[in-house]
Amino acid sequence: MLDDPLALARLQFAFTAATHYMFVALTLGLAPYILFNQLTAVLKGDGARMRAVRFWGGLYVVNYAMGVLSGLVMELQLALNWSGLSDMFGYAFGAPLAVETMGAFFIESTFLGLWIFGWDRMGRWAHWTCFLVVTATAYASAYWVLVANGFLKWPAGFRIEDGTAVLDSPWALLGNPSALMAFAHVATSALLVGAAVVGAVSASHLRRGHDPDRMFHRGVRHAVAILLVAVFPVVAFGGLQFPYVGQDPPTSGTTYTAEEIAAIEAGASPAVKAAGTIGGDVVMMTSWLLITMVAGIGALVWLARRLDRWRWFHWMLICLPALPYLASVGGWVFRETARQPWVVRHHLTTADAMTDLTPGMAVASFAFFTAAFTALAAVTLWLLVRFARRGPEGGPLAPAPAEPDREGGEPVPARTL
Amino acid sequence: MELIPVLFLTALLVGYFVLAGCDVGLGMLMPYLARTRGERRRAVSAAAPYFLGTEVWLVGAIGVVAGLFPELKTAVVTGMWPVFSALLAGWLLRDAGLWFRARAEAPSWHGLWDAAIVGGSWTIAVCWGLVGGALLAGGTLASPFAAAVAALVVVLFLLRGAAFGAERLVPPGREADDADGPVGGDAVGGAAGSVGSVGTVPAARVAQTAVSADAAARLTRVLARAGLAVLAVAVLLGAFPGTLDGGLPLAAAAGAALVAVALAATAGTEGPGRSRHASALAMGVMAPAVGVGAALPVEPVPGAVLTLVAVALAPVVPLMVVGQVALYRMLRRPASATGFFAQAAPAVGVGGGARTGAGRPAGISRFRPTAVGGPQGRESHGA
Ligand code: HDD
Ligand code: HEM
Ligand code: HEM
Repeated sequence: MLDDPLALARLQFAFTAATHYMFVALTLGLAPYILFNQLTAVLKGDGARMRAVRFWGGLYVVNYAMGVLSGLVMELQLALNWSGLSDMFGYAFGAPLAVETMGAFFIESTFLGLWIFGWDRMGRWAHWTCFLVVTATAYASAYWVLVANGFLKWPAGFRIEDGTAVLDSPWALLGNPSALMAFAHVATSALLVGAAVVGAVSASHLRRGHDPDRMFHRGVRHAVAILLVAVFPVVAFGGLQFPYVGQDPPTSGTTYTAEEIAAIEAGASPAVKAAGTIGGDVVMMTSWLLITMVAGIGALVWLARRLDRWRWFHWMLICLPALPYLASVGGWVFRETARQPWVVRHHLTTADAMTDLTPGMAVASFAFFTAAFTALAAVTLWLLVRFARRGPEGGPLAPAPAEPDREGGEPVPARTL
Repeated sequence: MELIPVLFLTALLVGYFVLAGCDVGLGMLMPYLARTRGERRRAVSAAAPYFLGTEVWLVGAIGVVAGLFPELKTAVVTGMWPVFSALLAGWLLRDAGLWFRARAEAPSWHGLWDAAIVGGSWTIAVCWGLVGGALLAGGTLASPFAAAVAALVVVLFLLRGAAFGAERLVPPGREADDADGPVGGDAVGGAAGSVGSVGTVPAARVAQTAVSADAAARLTRVLARAGLAVLAVAVLLGAFPGTLDGGLPLAAAAGAALVAVALAATAGTEGPGRSRHASALAMGVMAPAVGVGAALPVEPVPGAVLTLVAVALAPVVPLMVVGQVALYRMLRRPASATGFFAQAAPAVGVGGGARTGAGRPAGISRFRPTAVGGPQGRESHGA
């Protein structure tokens, strides 16, 4: 395999994308939760709730860092290793990504900086608005990326001229069913990821009898509530995607004839595809079933008013995050392997899309980025667990302790709450 | 019609080099400018919040190249696969260093990520230099001219970093009326270390010595002179017939002239003086000079694509402007030695040990100014 640049480049992309998505899913899941908490804190003028925002916000920022690092590598990797994709579909595939970087990420990162550094320098509504922008742009980011990804699966809105795609209808690109449904499924499933993490962290603190400001008591309740709300949309939007899986995309036949397509697909090895689709499907459905069960049990425990007392339920919550994470990666493996041997279905094969890399280049790139990624993801995970365990007093956004003996006089009360 | 997208891309690249030159350059100079723990902490806290707002310009530029100028991407990126892969690797390590450094307190942890920041910053600058040199030299990396251009770019990054450092590495408290917020215990220790055996001197007096900032200020003059020398070499090599084949030598020469003016403006002055603006000019000239000088291919962007991008971006451009302006206004003062990117949060209870004195309930500190805030921020940010 080491001498097959194509296999290496594919594996490298799959690994980067999976890592990216693990962190991004938490970003998408946690952002609305933080936004909601900060809103209630500001409305009630409640300092206790604001400390909870600092705690979840600290986890958010640590997680965000890895989302950005891996996202950068994704973007550059598409440019470096998959140049055939942009040679043929540069405009159609690249334009949504261009909008994502400019319209979503540019703003997201800037306003996150404002949120981090503006904590005591802005009015409380201005500060909350910063996070509103961060949340909105995170979802905008996901939408635009999925427009690009949905295009690969369901290419529409262009014609082929001299072997390159010419965009006819931007609206067909924006309203691509494969993008819209994926967005709905990704957004709702990310809520499951966020809720599971909030629930697990809260439960692990409650289990130790650690509940400053009763924030973890609220955390468990919120987690169960979000799980209950989100499980059904997840399965609905997931199920809606099945009809599109085997269907020919609307532009089928404009690059290759039906016979050529059949010949190309016959030449591909079916084993990977079958393993990916069946495996991904089974993982998602099983996880969904288990998550739904936990949510239902949570509702019953809630009715019995034992959410912050029953330890067996806390254990259940602590183990829960494994499920949505597994399902998320499984879902992506399903989606991406189902497309093989095409990068853009019925237009461009994976082999043709790859940059001509010598085996040496491919191995060097693969080895470095895989090693660096594993290390960075492991460090981020370790930091997340460490800060989650420490609780609100030790998080990255926790207020610095004023030095009792420092020069320069009085400690000044913080302005925001 | 392709003029607007081209101007947009140029603006993004110019913005990137002008703004990111600051934090990349400072990262390159860290081994020289920041030798004690406290100084390194301050250097990182000057560079770190900055990079959040600066690298988005590059991400945006990459997006625009990929989406609107695929032929440019093929000409530039694909042809220089190893250089861009190295650039990406350096970028990744440097960002990781900036994000992770302050998350724990062990010296070995700091050492590791300091190395990543410094190494990554150098990698980025050298790679941009190689890109510029190779583009001007008609695609070849292995020519003396390309090497000279690369060296020039590296010097310009350094100059930008030094000018930035001269302004931001001033410890708060140096200005008499600046009642800066928390001066962390470690920062005091670090600053004291740099002056010698004055461990018991109060924080305010130790902070009078802005060792790093002064060193950076002196460096601007040295770097400007070095830059002029390298520029002369590059111009000489470029004047050989055939070196700039296929490009527009006049544009490259105009760029060189502007850079020369900028460098000359600070080469004679003591201290930072005009270096902040001059280095900004020099950095800003780079991308257009290389782009036009090498006559990079741009094709008209198809109408449907332009509609898509314009419709999607028009509503958010004001938000981009507001966010960037607000961020730089907030970060305008000398860097604090505490805060999200500078200092690990106090570990209460689990590991690390509380620094705030034994027996003090953790809750008390919560009503104090935050690490990132600090009271003086209000003045600089209005209401
Ligand atoms: C918490 C995570 C999670 C859970 C519980 C589920 N999924 Fe899912 N699924 C995803 C997370 C996910 C995902 C990671 O978000 C994917 C990858 C691509 C996408 O659009 O969403 C996905 C993709 C995906 C696809 C592939 C779409 C395509 O190839 O275009 C299908 C058919 C389903 N899902 C169906 C389901 C069904 C029927 C589920 C429940 C029984 C289910 N998913 C639960
Ligand atoms: C949303 C944006 C995404 C885009 C544009 C995208 C695009 C690509 C491309 C270009 C490839 C390489 C060519 C190929 O093998 O088809 C690929 C492969 C792959 N990606 Fe994605 N991807 C995206 C998201 C993800 C995510 C989040 C995952 C998470 C697991 C993922 C998993 C994979 C896998 C497993 C492969 C390898 C498939 C194979 O070679 O059999 N992708 N994707
Ligand atoms: C379903 C797949 C994806 C989703 C939902 C997604 C979403 C996001 C989100 C929300 C962020 C913000 C960072 C964070 O908050 O953690 C992000 C970062 C990033 N993503 Fe993705 N992304 C996906 C796949 C991709 C792909 C395929 C690319 C490559 C073209 C990409 C490029 C980037 C880049 C460059 C960043 C860092 C800078 C930025 O935020 O734009 N993403 N992604």
